[in-house]
Amino acid sequence: MSSVSTTNPPVTSNISKPRWERAVPVYGFPVVNGFFVVLFAMTLLAFVLTAYRELAGLGPVSGMNDAYGWGIWKTFNVMVLTALGSGAFAIGIAAWVFRRKRLHALMRMALLTSFLAYACGLLLLGIDAGRPWNFYWIVFPWKWNMHSPLAEVAICMSIYAMIPLAIENIPPVLERLWYFDSRLRPGVERMERGLHKFFPWIIAAAYLLPGMHQSSLGALMLLAGERVHPLWQTPWLPLLYLGAATFMSFGCVAGTTMLCCLVWKRAMDMEVLDEAARITAWLIFGWLGLRLLDIVFRGALGTAFHADRFAGVFWLETLLISIGGYLLLRSLRDHETRWMFLGYVLSSLGGMIYRFSPTTLAFRPNPESLYFPSTIEILVSLGFISMGVAGFLLIVKRFAILPASLDEWHDMASYFRFRRPYIRWTGYFKYGHFGENESVTSDSD
Amino acid sequence: MAITRRELISSIAKAGVPAAVAMTAGTGTLQAESIPVPSAAVGLLYDASICIGCKACVAACAEANDTPPDTRGDSLHQAPSDLNDLTRNVIKLYKPEDGSAYSFVKRQCMHCLDPACAAGCPFQALHKDPETGVVSWTAEECIGCRYCTITCPFHIPRFQWQGYNPRVTKCELCSQRLEKGLRPGCTSVCPTGAVIFGPRTVLLSEAKQRIKNNPGRYYQDRVYGEIDNGGTQALYLSRIPFEKLGLPELGPESVPARTLRWQRRFYQYFALPAVLYGGLVQVIRKSLRGHEQEAHEREKQTGLRAQL
Repeated sequence: MSSVSTTNPPVTSNISKPRWERAVPVYGFPVVNGFFVVLFAMTLLAFVLTAYRELAGLGPVSGMNDAYGWGIWKTFNVMVLTALGSGAFAIGIAAWVFRRKRLHALMRMALLTSFLAYACGLLLLGIDAGRPWNFYWIVFPWKWNMHSPLAEVAICMSIYAMIPLAIENIPPVLERLWYFDSRLRPGVERMERGLHKFFPWIIAAAYLLPGMHQSSLGALMLLAGERVHPLWQTPWLPLLYLGAATFMSFGCVAGTTMLCCLVWKRAMDMEVLDEAARITAWLIFGWLGLRLLDIVFRGALGTAFHADRFAGVFWLETLLISIGGYLLLRSLRDHETRWMFLGYVLSSLGGMIYRFSPTTLAFRPNPESLYFPSTIEILVSLGFISMGVAGFLLIVKRFAILPASLDEWHDMASYFRFRRPYIRWTGYFKYGHFGENESVTSDSD
Repeated sequence: MAITRRELISSIAKAGVPAAVAMTAGTGTLQAESIPVPSAAVGLLYDASICIGCKACVAACAEANDTPPDTRGDSLHQAPSDLNDLTRNVIKLYKPEDGSAYSFVKRQCMHCLDPACAAGCPFQALHKDPETGVVSWTAEECIGCRYCTITCPFHIPRFQWQGYNPRVTKCELCSQRLEKGLRPGCTSVCPTGAVIFGPRTVLLSEAKQRIKNNPGRYYQDRVYGEIDNGGTQALYLSRIPFEKLGLPELGPESVPARTLRWQRRFYQYFALPAVLYGGLVQVIRKSLRGHEQEAHEREKQTGLRAQL
């Protein structure tokens, strides 16, 4: 007996390696809980404050001033959070263009987080604009200033979020309808076939457009010239912004998925997570290399050793990103999910500081001036983030977004059949045990 | 896996990268980059060495533009400390602690030949008049993004922070007065002639004449704005370094031409993005076919409907 136990391999035997094979809704947890109520209240508060902002103007509600014309609504909610929400772009390219097939398991998470981040960012962008009613010029292409990075961002971001990204998010909705009522199935299948016909064009647009506007977000600060500290101001700013968005969004999607697995007690597929971590680590080190080379060749390295806040911010973000990258590599060796999660958190945090710096932390207006967001500004910013998080919590519990094993799907079916037979909200269980009523031949086209 | 990258590259190449690259990166100077001096460019010449700081121009500017006097400082005097939403023109004093030479400086829009504010403005609310070269703002096209306050190297446009219908305030060279044949407000009241109005070429030769007549009087014997930032239509003469007066040394190339070079080339004719798009469609088409096939196979194995 003892000899058997000593020769036993460690726990990582091949019998219990969970695989993410199917997106399954989070079931058995109520949507409305304390956390959700708090998020909802924050969102409502933000809407009320927004109404006040529209009447009073930007001055009374924000810390923005003549020197810092942009506050956290633009610099954080749009420029930082849409980088976290570039998962549909970064993971999509890895999966569809470079054919990292395992990453398809994370695709629905990536698409959903991207859509929410962009939608909340764009809404706040409309509130941040002083004269939002003039946005209607966006439908008249001859009015566009084609060479303005801001026009590029505003137009491209709106089109991306409203057309390709929204369409990419349709399949889970159609799937829900398919399971909801058998009478809907022929129509749903027809729509799916139509969708698939246009998918290559839509997906390609969903990679071209974010590539354009995520880099143009960096180009925005090029025009600010000397006012951006030399550690950040570089002709490579567009590429560095885009690169930061790729590893940050990998961190956001994989990290969020891990967190969800932890909270809702789902198994993690280490093959998928390892693949994502490996790609993220390479992206991080490639990005760091490009950034350091750029700083060295521009001769700005000396300013990193001055005892001022700029050097502090620079070292903080560089350390966070490189420690994050190191932890990701380490997790690939040790298969320790905690290091992987921490690696994602630290590298994304560093990336967030990097994306925040050129507009705010490393911005040196002349004459010298200070900006700190006012309470209302912070509350509105948090309110719009809360809206995204609340939307996420609602959607993962109503649609098949989060990846899980096949067993999870069957468990869900039996859960609704035996323990919650009176709940009608999810059509996923309505037609009995999954697999029984799902005729594969139904979509024999 | 290696084949996919080759596929990607070859399909992009097939779609005509060479042509697109030649069209964009290879172009010598883009149309947006050549800075022609407007045919009837008018401007201001401000000579800081003869300005006495009486601020008559500040009051005249507010009057000419129908702006209420900015008395927010002490509720009595029109004494704005800087340009703001009520102030298009301001006189500031540079006076070093050590008692060395001091100087007044008049700040207003420089009416750059290649204005950064207009280069960044998304819907052309800020635009440069092709004839007079005056950079003006139109309310109907402005979305209030405040990008102009970020991009202007002279920090001129100011946003109105109060109220539901904010405006952007900047000197528009009193264009409504110019149409009536009048001079801009500030130049019509200056008692010493420190600021004068005229065609840019005339002002430039006048400035050079002053430098020639008074050798050693002016800083570097140079007219600020002749070539700075690609040239401006407001020209400055000063005894003390321009940088001390808040006029940064920007070099002969304009800010947009210097910083947006690659951005502009990338988006020229939309050629490179279009090529990239074509290549992406090709690659994704192929991967989608494979992905669908696998999904249907899995559907047969598991008996569960495929999730694409």
